[in-house]
Amino acid sequence: MLQFLVDALLRTADLALITLGLSMLYGLIRFPNIAHVQYAMCGAFLAYAINSAGAPLIVSVVLASILTGLLTLVIQLLVFDRLLKSGPAIAMIGSLAVSMVLVASVLGIAGSFPHMFSLPHTEPLIIGDARISHTQLWFVLTTLVLLTLFVLLLFHTQVGRAMRALACNPALADASGLNASRITNGVTFISGMLAGLGGSMLSLSTGAHVNLGYDLLLPVFAAAILGGLGNPIGAVAGAALIALTETAVTNINFGPLLGETLVFLPVSYISAASFLILLLALLFKPYGLFDREVRRV
Amino acid sequence: MKKRHFLTLCASTLLVGNLASSAWAQETISLGAVLPLTGPSATVGEDIRRGIQLGVEHVNANGGVLGKKLQVIVEDSGNNPTTALTAARKLATVDRVPAVLGEYSSSITLPMAQYLVKENIVHFNIGSSSNKVRELGASAFNIIGLEAAGNLFAAKDVYALGHRNLALIAPNNAYGQGVAHGFTEEFEKLGGKITAQILYTGGQSTYRRELQQLARAKPDAFLYTAYGHESAVINREAKELGLRNVPWYAYIMSMSVSDTPADIAEGQIGMELGTAQGDLGKAYEDTFKAKFKEGFKTAFNGYGYDGVLMLAAAIEQGKGATPAQIIAGLKAVSEAGFTGVTGPIKLDDEGQRIDPPYDRLKYEGGKLVQR
Repeated sequence: MLQFLVDALLRTADLALITLGLSMLYGLIRFPNIAHVQYAMCGAFLAYAINSAGAPLIVSVVLASILTGLLTLVIQLLVFDRLLKSGPAIAMIGSLAVSMVLVASVLGIAGSFPHMFSLPHTEPLIIGDARISHTQLWFVLTTLVLLTLFVLLLFHTQVGRAMRALACNPALADASGLNASRITNGVTFISGMLAGLGGSMLSLSTGAHVNLGYDLLLPVFAAAILGGLGNPIGAVAGAALIALTETAVTNINFGPLLGETLVFLPVSYISAASFLILLLALLFKPYGLFDREVRRV
Repeated sequence: MKKRHFLTLCASTLLVGNLASSAWAQETISLGAVLPLTGPSATVGEDIRRGIQLGVEHVNANGGVLGKKLQVIVEDSGNNPTTALTAARKLATVDRVPAVLGEYSSSITLPMAQYLVKENIVHFNIGSSSNKVRELGASAFNIIGLEAAGNLFAAKDVYALGHRNLALIAPNNAYGQGVAHGFTEEFEKLGGKITAQILYTGGQSTYRRELQQLARAKPDAFLYTAYGHESAVINREAKELGLRNVPWYAYIMSMSVSDTPADIAEGQIGMELGTAQGDLGKAYEDTFKAKFKEGFKTAFNGYGYDGVLMLAAAIEQGKGATPAQIIAGLKAVSEAGFTGVTGPIKLDDEGQRIDPPYDRLKYEGGKLVQR
């Protein structure tokens, strides 16, 4: 049972930072950026490149996050700001194109072979019947700390208030003298950084590989929509719910139903779980589970 | 005038060239080989090519075949069935070789060999283990252990190690399905049980969930076969999940440890196609090391070497280098008893090696050793 909770927690950590950034940025720019998961993939490769150039691990991860933030900002300014003038649908299709370009570039530079970090092997921690590796533990802790910081930022600072005001009513916020473009750029940079950080920490245990972004696309979007796009805290809750469902589906033994001892759903079908949740959410709760609570500032 | 001179010159050059090449051809007997010298299996391809090169050098150093020089024309398949087929066609129609060795991947070997058999050219399998190799036809021969033999060997070995309840993980493709199905059959015949089985999707970055599902079966041991990088992920995550506290048995060992860090692979047991066997094998291994300044990269080079030596012996026995003479020669060589670097080679009526060798291996101190 403990292992079940640990697995759900680990999966939540996989998704949380990236979903958070996606949802936060959506609140300001109002289009679902498909390329967002590819920023995570870029972050993973940057961290790997910096690490293999000889930098210590923490420096590589931090540097990779900052670089990914800058990349996100540059793409936002050069591409999406212009596309958004033609409407969110055009911008979304544009983000699909950007996503493909990013994948193709990484494929061209780094190749299709996954790159594993050469980390010293350490024995995992054993808590009861559950096991968690040190890298994973750090990943979860970092995610928790960042989420706490983010909540404090959003609800207890002037900047957070401005962000919420802008997300809630851009015209009014602008009229009240808030510098909309500066806040948007700041949030773009932070959301890119979070994606880069999420991707690079994920790659510490799974390696930097070109499908990292695509593998995240469905669960991350399902989590963000479930939490209500534009609602960053809801997005994290959505990520936790997706993680719980995926872990549950993985662990349910269908054996007794079929008269055998052990029958599990093949792992390749498990992403269908997030797909199903996404579909249900869109049908019954298109604005997310926590819609009403967060619309007000 | 000048033009005529030029044409005459061209014609005579061609004629001389032709004469020269046919004169040379008379002193040389050519065989063909198609190998993956580029692409994902290039390491294996180059390893086999080295074995073939040593084989040719050995034959020529001992007077050649029928008093002529032996050569093997090696073509690259690029790990692609179409390229391999084009290469085989070139060997058959341009170089007019009577026999072709190769390829490595079963999916490439099978169509290529079907073409060769149809053209009545000898196909000599030195790298593919699909059971379908057995069904290729009258002019097809094989000296490598096929899946069926591998499954039987591994099942007996695992059983002898005392394991009764196994969890099995293999890639979800023709190879993995073949191993999963065949091994399970053999193992259950012996009285063992496969308590959980997973065919995994290739190219994933994590197999944590698959491993957790397998672990629920609480097996005595895990049996797995996986390609280099996928093995690395599986081995590391199994270690993290504490699953490597029970034995892991690798089916085709070199694949399973090639990309895994040594501290995780340490103590790993498994099986592999037999490489150099006996005194002859030892001498071959020394020659190989001296020539290429490094040891064997894979288990396959010895089969390339034996393939060349056996074909050369067959040409001697059959007293000629036509496909028919080689087929008759191979049968005679097999009956007389042939010992290669991969051990004694005896062919059955279908041209398949009887009792192909396998090695019981263990990963110790950073390298594979016999157990």
